Amino acid sequence: MARLRVMSWRGDSSYEWDPKRIATGDPEAEAAVREAERIFREERARGSTAFRVTPGKLGEKMDSFDPSAEQIVMVPRVAGG
Amino acid sequence: MIVADQLVTLAAALLLLLLFFSLLRLSSSVTYRSRIVAEQRADALLRDVLTPAQYHQLRRRGYVDVPSPTWANRVYRIPRSRDQVRVYEGGRLLERLCVQAIEPMPTGDIVVMHKLMIEGNEAEYLHTANHFR
Repeated sequence: MARLRVMSWRGDSSYEWDPKRIATGDPEAEAAVREAERIFREERARGSTAFRVTPGKLGEKMDSFDPSAEQIVMVPRVAGG
Repeated sequence: MIVADQLVTLAAALLLLLLFFSLLRLSSSVTYRSRIVAEQRADALLRDVLTPAQYHQLRRRGYVDVPSPTWANRVYRIPRSRDQVRVYEGGRLLERLCVQAIEPMPTGDIVVMHKLMIEGNEAEYLHTANHFR
């Protein structure tokens, strides 16, 4: 399962989709990935930054949604303190 | 008759007071519980994002060292507390950085935020931070 995690004061909210089922054209899986992409765009519009997280690799900034990403973490807008 | 009326008013006032404090207690207990849940989720995210060695370091020492992806001798020391990030170069403290999310987040998520921004967007992270030497 692939996962989009959006950070907030409640801890992260998680949205999952199954790339294998998407490859077979499963409509439920396609709806799940569309919903994840919608949330990704909405959060980016609010100023959040997205990072691809892959075990054993450095975090990588993402400018567009990639359904093949294993895990995406969205960090809210930051400022100098 | 007047005494009875006063007693009824007093009882009603006491009941209202009791109700108010019960609601207050319930509300703070709900807030406390949601804070615990948020920290548990943040800890699960930490386990997913940090390497096992980094997670162990954070639990044991209260900070995690993230090597700079750009400068060979530079390390960012991210504290578990909401303190400033320390920048070391060649083992020497160079400066302290202050970067904050604009919305409140659990402590564990703040560690993840620093790590991901340093690894994936170091130039912007340094540009955003306030630097203290």
